[in-house]
Amino acid sequence: MTSASHTVSRRRRFSRVNDVWPWLCAASVALSLLMLGALLTLLLVRGLGHFWPATLEEVTLDSGETFAGQAVREVALPQRAGDERLYFTGNQDIEGVRWRWVAIDDIAESAQPDDLIRLDRSPWGDFIGRLVAIEQHDQRWEGDAAWQRLNALLVLPASQRQDSQLLLTTVDGQTLRQPLASVASAQAPNAMSVWQKTLAWGDAVWRFLSEGPRAANTDGGVWPAIFGTVLMVILMSVMVTPFGVLAAIYLNEIAHQGRLTRLVRIGVRNLAGVPSIVYGVFGLGVFVYGIGGSLDEWFFSDTLPSPTFGTGGLLWASLTLALLTLPVVIVATEEGLARIPEAQREGAVALGATRLEMLTRIVLPMAAPAMLTGVILAVARAAGEVAPLMLVGVAKLAPQMPIDGEFPYLHLERKFMHLGYHLFDTAFHGEDVQAAIPLVYATALLLVLIVLVLNLTAIFLRHYLRRQRGNEC
Amino acid sequence: MNTRLTTLCINRGLASAVRRTVLSGVAFILMLITPLTWGQQPAVISGTLGAVGSDTMAGLMLRWGETLTTRYPDVKLQFQASGSASAPTALMAGTTRLGPMSRPMTSEERDNFIERYGYPPLELKVARDALIVVVHRHNPLRALTRQQVDAIFSTSLACGGETPIRRWEQLSATRDWSFGSIALHGRNLASGTHGLFQQRALCGGFFRNDISEHPGSSAVVAAVGESANAMGYAGLNHLTPAVHALSLYNDDGIAIPPNEAAIQGGDYPLSRYLYLYVNLPPGETLPPAEQALLKLIMSDEGQQIARASGFVPLTSSVLGAQQRW
Amino acid sequence: MTLPRLTSSRQPIRLLQDRMATGLITAGGIGVLLAILAIGVFLVWETLPLLAIGDTLALAKLSPLAWGTLKAALAALLFAIPVAMGAAIYSALFMSARLRSRIKPALEMMEAIPGVVVGFIAGLILAPWVERHLASALVLIIWLPLSAALAGLLWQRAKTRLRRHLPLSWAGLWLVPWLAVMVALALWLAPWMEQQWFDGDLRQLLDQRYGMDYATRNALIVGLAMGFAVIPSIYSLAEDALADVPASLIEGAQAMGASRWQALWKVALVAAGPGIFSAIMIGAGRAVGETMIVLMASGNTALFSASPFEGMRSMAAAIAIELPEASPGGQTYHLLILAALVLFIFTFLVNTLAEVVRQRLRRRFRQMGGTL
Repeated sequence: MTSASHTVSRRRRFSRVNDVWPWLCAASVALSLLMLGALLTLLLVRGLGHFWPATLEEVTLDSGETFAGQAVREVALPQRAGDERLYFTGNQDIEGVRWRWVAIDDIAESAQPDDLIRLDRSPWGDFIGRLVAIEQHDQRWEGDAAWQRLNALLVLPASQRQDSQLLLTTVDGQTLRQPLASVASAQAPNAMSVWQKTLAWGDAVWRFLSEGPRAANTDGGVWPAIFGTVLMVILMSVMVTPFGVLAAIYLNEIAHQGRLTRLVRIGVRNLAGVPSIVYGVFGLGVFVYGIGGSLDEWFFSDTLPSPTFGTGGLLWASLTLALLTLPVVIVATEEGLARIPEAQREGAVALGATRLEMLTRIVLPMAAPAMLTGVILAVARAAGEVAPLMLVGVAKLAPQMPIDGEFPYLHLERKFMHLGYHLFDTAFHGEDVQAAIPLVYATALLLVLIVLVLNLTAIFLRHYLRRQRGNEC
Repeated sequence: MNTRLTTLCINRGLASAVRRTVLSGVAFILMLITPLTWGQQPAVISGTLGAVGSDTMAGLMLRWGETLTTRYPDVKLQFQASGSASAPTALMAGTTRLGPMSRPMTSEERDNFIERYGYPPLELKVARDALIVVVHRHNPLRALTRQQVDAIFSTSLACGGETPIRRWEQLSATRDWSFGSIALHGRNLASGTHGLFQQRALCGGFFRNDISEHPGSSAVVAAVGESANAMGYAGLNHLTPAVHALSLYNDDGIAIPPNEAAIQGGDYPLSRYLYLYVNLPPGETLPPAEQALLKLIMSDEGQQIARASGFVPLTSSVLGAQQRW
Repeated sequence: MTLPRLTSSRQPIRLLQDRMATGLITAGGIGVLLAILAIGVFLVWETLPLLAIGDTLALAKLSPLAWGTLKAALAALLFAIPVAMGAAIYSALFMSARLRSRIKPALEMMEAIPGVVVGFIAGLILAPWVERHLASALVLIIWLPLSAALAGLLWQRAKTRLRRHLPLSWAGLWLVPWLAVMVALALWLAPWMEQQWFDGDLRQLLDQRYGMDYATRNALIVGLAMGFAVIPSIYSLAEDALADVPASLIEGAQAMGASRWQALWKVALVAAGPGIFSAIMIGAGRAVGETMIVLMASGNTALFSASPFEGMRSMAAAIAIELPEASPGGQTYHLLILAALVLFIFTFLVNTLAEVVRQRLRRRFRQMGGTL
């Protein structure tokens, strides 16, 4: 009796320990989801939040000093209790710097007056302070009238407000005369209603998407990078689709299904696992230095030694990425081809179709969705790939778009901008990482959204097709 | 067949005529408008300026280009930032007339240029720059001797230090800075900053191998700003309040801070000029777009842009002593 | 009546077309395969000068990079294998079918997140945070599995109604908020724990007692970030392997009196072992070749150090930043191409091994399914 109960309790304890394992496994799933969710939330909040007009604070320190700025973040002080806060203060032309770290204990008072304004100017960047007056010829507006006049003038193009000047003052009393021509926009964020802020937010998001970078990539938008990414991906799919499909048809329909074909198939599959940087090295060595160098010698010798095709460019980048994504397309297409019942092919041939007719009329239409899935997956992979592009033709800033009105319209030899590289560049090469980080977040969010949407399309397509085919069979 | 061809020709002729009219109309209107809006600008200047060279100066060149474009909307600056070494090559190839460099041309590069064209390139100093050694903003360290810098960053001690410095306690100013060993940050091998620091600050010696090598100067500054035990070197234009730039002792034992005056006068040991090399045959003048850029750079506004980009403007004596173009 | 005429008149053209098309496809297919082969040929060709000279000094320069690559991959796998395997086991054997059809694509989405985004978050956001809150980060690593176990124990004590609302088969989802709360709790308590156990500052303790340096961007950060990128590929393949284990095997084991967990541990895992092995191999291949994450989060210090708190430089990252500046034909150029060749051969071998193992396993299962 006792021994029986003993074994029972032992077994129960044993099973209880065992019962913990499934929970650990479940927690792994939960942890992965949590990490994914946290990453996406972080990108969403920081990426979109950057465009929301931030509240400006007027801070008075214990020492009596005052300054105005936007609170950015807080970190713990080293070797001392308490936190310090980072303010974006702008006014680089007056103070020499744009940021200020302040220990929170040193802050005596902080207010949010409605009359603080924020101007976006070039070349000095943001001004944060107060508007005293606006002068045009002999006319002068002050106070609220000045603010209204400023907003009215800012609607005009920069060339038509040459003769106006702003009289500005910082919160600690220094004055500044600012020609209106170099002011891009003005805001009084503390006085804005939620609705006005939403409008301003939408406007800022739109400008981010539609404008080019300014102030050496520390400001402005990402339009050329979006354009470059899309163009490169389109060129790449134009190249990868026919070749991938050809190779897949050859492997699946024409080649003798022997040991060699199986080896080749394994080889192709494995190429999908070869690091992208290796493709980049290949692209640099073969396309850029090899083929490009020869092209230059033959056709562009008048501009040598400065290279035309012998340097990284749009063509080489899309070729490299086409090679990189070739295995993806081949594997996906082959999967689609393998799913087609043999009876379909035999039926077509039995009715007198040649192999070409069988392929074009029966097999390819049936495999088309699989090919499409493959191409979308390839595009998704190519859109997010950065490492090989660093070797074969992406540029920090390409003022000339690869497509323009100049003959031959599409300039394959030009360098181009890419979202992923733009992200890397602004985060590591820019002038001021702290200023660039919000833009990096926004770029990252955009990139992730593009790639996720592409992948989701592929997944749904595959899912939908499988289900449809399931009904057919 | 024949009639079709003729109509085609007529059509084409008509189309080109129409296009020409429209274009000249637009040009005419533009010519009418421009003097009105650009009161002080006498003539319309247009064209694309090409420049190839230093990536340190990328931000600076792009800002000058932006300002030029706001003044003359038809002038665009296209800048390819592929390192100082690419400028002489491009100048010699004739693909560009402007080669910005963060160091002077070597005599070999100059000789090659003379051999190709028969005259030396026009050398213009456009701004002043410096390399700075930075520590975390709360670090009490304020100045280092050159031997100390070498002892911290190198294994070779070529500048005459005696023992390698690995920990904060080894420096008298940071005896109480209880963050253990010094975490070093720097640039990657390919960058000019890496080379210049090696040459000037390490007296040509070798870097330690535990320096974190970042792909950009701003990444160095950001990394140092985040950790209290860090020290790094970077270009002056990346300085932010998150870090503190150290003074360096000169040979007379005076600590020189990397401020504008010390860099302008060349007292700060790690300072350098930034150059713009121009391919200009003697006796000729530059095309108007190039002239406008040079005028902008040498003007007060251009030098203010250099300051806004984080560099140090030239003194008026340096500006005045430059060769005329 | 029209049909025979049409066939007879068009027959030669059709046959010619067919022959031409076949030729074209063959040519295209073989061309593509040759292009792919060219990668290997090119890499070997470009490194021949280096290997021919037998330049040992150059090879010695490569060794810290090789070590860095292995260290980064190992760190990533240490984090990724347990999480990915756990997730695979759970979703293959415990998860409800409806949830599984949603969760699996969601986890595979993780793979789609570009490396440059993960690298940015890891290098510029996570690394400084972990440096400031090292103790919290370490506490989290221990606390998270414990809190999962705690959830299990609590669940067994819970009332039946609650259990029905929160079944194990959906735990992958409803544990997410639980874990989030636990993370918050750990972060809230960690400073106090650091005060109690580590004399207030863990890093100082590490430095003074063990002489360990702490670099902001280190193997810990790289392991977390790259592990995040590698989890989905291991998970996806391992899950496939586990789900392919014929149900009859597990049911048989359970019929013999094994608990569900025993059936899994002793039968399913063993049966799917080769598949899991190949999943891990493919994960290792990815970790070795990943460039942007290591470039942005590793600190790029060419060190021989096994410390998880020190950085490393990997071959892929070195290629990415040094190769564009290396003059073609120079020694650095050849050296970097040699690094690329090493990467290529390594990943190719690992992937081939994995693929062969996987195909053999699949054939075995098919046979098993057939006989049972």
